Amino acid sequence: MQQQLTNLSDKELISRARKQLDREAEGVLMDRYSHLLVAVTIPYLSSQPNLDPNIVFPALLQRLNASLKTQTIYKANEWILHIQKGYLGKPEKNIPFYPSRDGRDLLHIENTVDKAATNIIDRQDLIVRLEQALQRLSADDNALITQFYLENKSFADLTAATGLPREKLRSQLKAAKAKLAKLFMNQGYAK
Amino acid sequence: MQSNKPNNEKVLKIFSAIRCLSRDQLPRYMEGRLTDVERHLVEQHLTDCDLCYDALTALEQEENTERYQDLTNKLQRYVQNSIQPVSHVQKIAQYTRKEKNKENMLAYFWIIAFIGLGVGSVYVLRGHIRNQPPVRIMASSVPQKDSVREEVATGVPLVTAAENNAGTTTTPAPAATPATQTSAKPATTPVHPDSAALKKAAALKALQKKAAADSIRKHTLLQKQADSLKKETADKAAAAKAKEEEKKPDQKPEQKPVQKEKEQAPPPEPAKRETPSTAVNSDEYLYKAAMVYQQQGNLNEAISRYKRIESVSSGKYVEMARYQLAICYRSKGQAGKARRMFKEVIRMDGSMKAAAQQALDSM
Repeated sequence: MQQQLTNLSDKELISRARKQLDREAEGVLMDRYSHLLVAVTIPYLSSQPNLDPNIVFPALLQRLNASLKTQTIYKANEWILHIQKGYLGKPEKNIPFYPSRDGRDLLHIENTVDKAATNIIDRQDLIVRLEQALQRLSADDNALITQFYLENKSFADLTAATGLPREKLRSQLKAAKAKLAKLFMNQGYAK
Repeated sequence: MQSNKPNNEKVLKIFSAIRCLSRDQLPRYMEGRLTDVERHLVEQHLTDCDLCYDALTALEQEENTERYQDLTNKLQRYVQNSIQPVSHVQKIAQYTRKEKNKENMLAYFWIIAFIGLGVGSVYVLRGHIRNQPPVRIMASSVPQKDSVREEVATGVPLVTAAENNAGTTTTPAPAATPATQTSAKPATTPVHPDSAALKKAAALKALQKKAAADSIRKHTLLQKQADSLKKETADKAAAAKAKEEEKKPDQKPEQKPVQKEKEQAPPPEPAKRETPSTAVNSDEYLYKAAMVYQQQGNLNEAISRYKRIESVSSGKYVEMARYQLAICYRSKGQAGKARRMFKEVIRMDGSMKAAAQQALDSM
């Protein structure tokens, strides 16, 4: 059972945990993200010595468990980060997680791409539209995206080429991708 | 195809979803131990995923990764310990609950089934009792047979037993006395004393025979009862008539109090018969009614009654009716008819055979 569950996607696990009250699926999901959760929480633990990991993590898991049953979760990683930040930032307040409009756009395009993988006609159509959107992007963003995604350049290569720090580079890439997504979506609506 | 438009296909890569970094990918990326393709995929994901990027930066700032490893192990163990056993326990609880429910349902089912069965049987029984008196007669006659076998075997041919008792105080079968006592009164008033004497002797012989062949008699009695069941519908009508007509004889004695004491005796008797149980056989009713007429000297009426019994009923009552019919004919002076009747009785070869033979011989 454990083996089978580990092969399932996040979405599947969440739906199992929710609809079938499958604690095992929930456990697999938590297990999958536990190392990231720990890594993200370590800076807080080191900066605030009053935080006891034996209390923090169970409490975090409890909060995650509670929100798993009630909240709409598009992406497990975003949701976990949101809950973790909420817990460590304002432990008395439980702010529900809700993905932004951009996030949802991105998710929509990802799903479309995923679906098109098995359909040649859809895929061709999607490629044409994506390229059109890419053409309408500003030159800087276009160049960045082309280099990173199409030419397979790594962070190290790009930082060396542009002289920007990795963090900055990442945020630029992220912003460019968001713009591309917006253009693509608007194109879709205009069509 | 792919070489023709490599870029085209790659465009889709921008928006392809990639899973978060796994537990061993993270340190390997930090140490630069990934292949180019894998590293590129990780970096693609890192641009999108804040969680992974935050984790990466946090781990890069942390000097020793021991704490990270330790905490991760602990957390995973905690997750496994807290969630999976609980789920197992839950499953067991669910299973036991299901089983319990099943058992409860089964118990309820049987209780309801038994209640239903009980109510149904009571209803059916009541319906039977109300609608089918012959069934009840049979039911009441069976215990009688069991408790007082002698009575059934010997006392049922009312005439013979009764007259036997009337004439001679000493009865061969002491068990037959209760039956004879009840049936004595109507039988003490035969129309012709000579015939009574004949009957006495015949009855004695018959009794002896019956005592010998008691078991055979029981069998025949059972058969007779079965026959009477078959003719149930016909009996019903006859019984109804008999009841109506028996009311008349009850009234008649009051109108003719001048008659002999012997004749006064019978009227209360049928009433007695009626009162103890409504389960008296319809044949018996008819027979008794006819007897009353015969004793009152209304021979024509009696003959018609006996004829009806002869045609409608079965078993011993036919025989007895024929015997009485013969006696009626004889007392009316119709010797030929009487003889024929006696012969018929003899031919039936029943309990009355000897008496009939004797009567025929004396004619």
